[in-house]
Amino acid sequence: MSGFGRIAGILIGTVALGLAAAGPALAQSDVKGEITVWSWNVAATALKSVVPDFNKAYPNVKVTVEDLGNQPVYDRGLAGCSAGGVNMPDVYSVENHESSVFWARFPDCFLDLKSVDAKEADLLAKFPKFKLTELTVGDKIYAMPWDSGPAVVFYRRDMYEAAGVDPAKIVTWDDFIAAGKAVQAKAGPDVKFVSNNTDSISTTWFRILANQAGCAYFDETGENVTVNQPGCVQALETVKKISDADLFLSAGWDGSLQAIKANRLASSVYGAWYEGSVRGNAPELSGKWGVFQLPAFAAGGNRAANIGGSSLAIPASSKNPQAALAFINFALGRPDSQITQLKASGLVPTLPEAINDPYIQQPQPYWGGQKVWEVVLATLSQIKPARGTQYFAEADGIADGILLAYMKGNGKSAKETLDEAAEQISAATGLPVAE
Amino acid sequence: MGTATRAGIQAPRTRGASAAVPLDIRGGWRRRRHALAPYWFLLPYFLVFAVFWCWPIIDSALLSLQNTRVNPWDWNIAINWRRLLIDRAFHAALGNTLTIMAIQVPVMLTLATLLAVALNSPLLKLRPIYRFAFFAPVVVSDAAYSAVFRVLFNGQFGAVNHAFAALGLPTVEWLQDPNAMLSTVMVAMTWRWTGYNAIILLAGLQSIPRDLYEAAAIDGATPFDRFFRITLPLLKPILVFCLVLSVIGTTQLFTEPWLITDRGGPGGGAETLGTYLYKQGFVSMNFGYAAAIAYTIAGMAAVLAALNLVFTRGKQA
Repeated sequence: MSGFGRIAGILIGTVALGLAAAGPALAQSDVKGEITVWSWNVAATALKSVVPDFNKAYPNVKVTVEDLGNQPVYDRGLAGCSAGGVNMPDVYSVENHESSVFWARFPDCFLDLKSVDAKEADLLAKFPKFKLTELTVGDKIYAMPWDSGPAVVFYRRDMYEAAGVDPAKIVTWDDFIAAGKAVQAKAGPDVKFVSNNTDSISTTWFRILANQAGCAYFDETGENVTVNQPGCVQALETVKKISDADLFLSAGWDGSLQAIKANRLASSVYGAWYEGSVRGNAPELSGKWGVFQLPAFAAGGNRAANIGGSSLAIPASSKNPQAALAFINFALGRPDSQITQLKASGLVPTLPEAINDPYIQQPQPYWGGQKVWEVVLATLSQIKPARGTQYFAEADGIADGILLAYMKGNGKSAKETLDEAAEQISAATGLPVAE
Repeated sequence: MGTATRAGIQAPRTRGASAAVPLDIRGGWRRRRHALAPYWFLLPYFLVFAVFWCWPIIDSALLSLQNTRVNPWDWNIAINWRRLLIDRAFHAALGNTLTIMAIQVPVMLTLATLLAVALNSPLLKLRPIYRFAFFAPVVVSDAAYSAVFRVLFNGQFGAVNHAFAALGLPTVEWLQDPNAMLSTVMVAMTWRWTGYNAIILLAGLQSIPRDLYEAAAIDGATPFDRFFRITLPLLKPILVFCLVLSVIGTTQLFTEPWLITDRGGPGGGAETLGTYLYKQGFVSMNFGYAAAIAYTIAGMAAVLAALNLVFTRGKQA
């Protein structure tokens, strides 16, 4: 599919014989064949950026990265697994919070990475424990952690300045709302303050703020429904306040990027992986964008939250698991590759060694010379771990409808709304609502 | 049939066969072979039918009686069927489907009837071109026309909102607001299927004898009378046919809400039974519950089709 893959293939074809030679490269050139990788937009771009270096080390492996889009990767993966593992790629991208459904329902659809190579356990042990929990079932580890999604606020420097808003002074969500009103008043009716990030599901904002408050659909054991706990109530009330202040642009992934390009959006709250999308989508706005940490619920409160973050797995149907594992190890298990992906797409490394790379401290020209990665990574240690569980898609779908009715103003309180959601999620999953 | 066949088979037999072979044995064998012949010809179809129809129908019935979210699957007769009763998301999807059925189907069939009468008018020039133009939407693929509607109804940049703004009307979040999403889906469906139904109705109109209208005209009937006293009653069987097809199509509605409003839209605003079934089966991986929903849809379609026929047949006789 990618033009690059084809060129790489030709190169391999012509040089392969010459390269199949001595030294430490011997073992690596023994790994050969073609592998297909499924991924989506920025993540696919990131993986493509690693392929040239990978092919220097593994000249006999031809990598094809297919950008299917985020939801289709999940849908086709589930369809493939439920059909007994057919039509699957060699390397599969999966978002961590959605991954449990694969391991729980289709325990044989993906390989235990340790079973492909005995030394794999040492590499996996380098990753933070909380990243591995969702990828582990018993003693099997089904995927290697890829990136994290520390949420931050991306903002238009010029629009904030014009309205006299200083982002350094936005420390609480109330400050954020006041700033939004000021920016919208100054910029006119065509500009909205922030996107509601609503594609097919309207819960993105709620999930970011709930994680910030240390709450999620389920508790960390995945055994109880906790969506009506105080943290989630606080999160939902806050999102409602932003909505009631009329600061939201109703737009999904594409719509938000179009609005950014058309100078109609003053900020965006998303995982740090959005950096690459803003930059790639609107290169002409270089220097006009900046980043600041999430506002807290109250001054001095937690300003870190996670949204998204993915992993790479190897379907059991792969004809070339050795080459697939070599690619995963190369792309995710080396600080160099992780920094390559950070540069290409803004994917925040999970591998601790990569976080100490000097590139992190560099000012970024697109972001007005701001050291954005320092801002982002400073929050990493404060992120509260959460577990998606195999019921994530179901819980998210239920919450979506109930929360949206509340956001539109159905007269119920946030607590009543989340009690209803908890009861419905409990009924659907059979898990009890936590006391 | 029995005697005719027997005579037909045995007639040449008595003349040509050797006397040594008892006639009734050879004849009986032949007869059996001939009687079986059609089934041999039908066998490929029966095999396909058994594998791709019977087996899935039976298997999904069995699935609906299992808890498919544990490994291995577990028999649990009530788990899915009980959930249908308490699942508010399912009730919302059912409500949306019935709303579309109650609003979109009558509006579309009314438009289609009027369109058919207009297309049938002798005053109209270039009739074949108009007929094709109104039928054309059906020729366009689902995905292509859905993509166009998605662009037209885009909240920020869509042509529809631009038109609204130009007319001084408030703009609408067609793809995000729950009520607006349902209207978007209904508008799209009406655009696509009105012409199709109109062509079927047109065929019906052309089968109504001209002399009825001439006689009515001589008796002094107004065009209004002619439409309600002659056209509609005689068109009724065709209208019922269109109604049954549209109602069944609506119970299974999937493509438009899935593609135009992005998987049934945020908050399930345009969630239909079809999209909910898909989400349960292939997003949440709950095959058992999806099977129970599928049986509910099939049951609904059967009941609605039967009701339509019962209501209309009674009056016609």
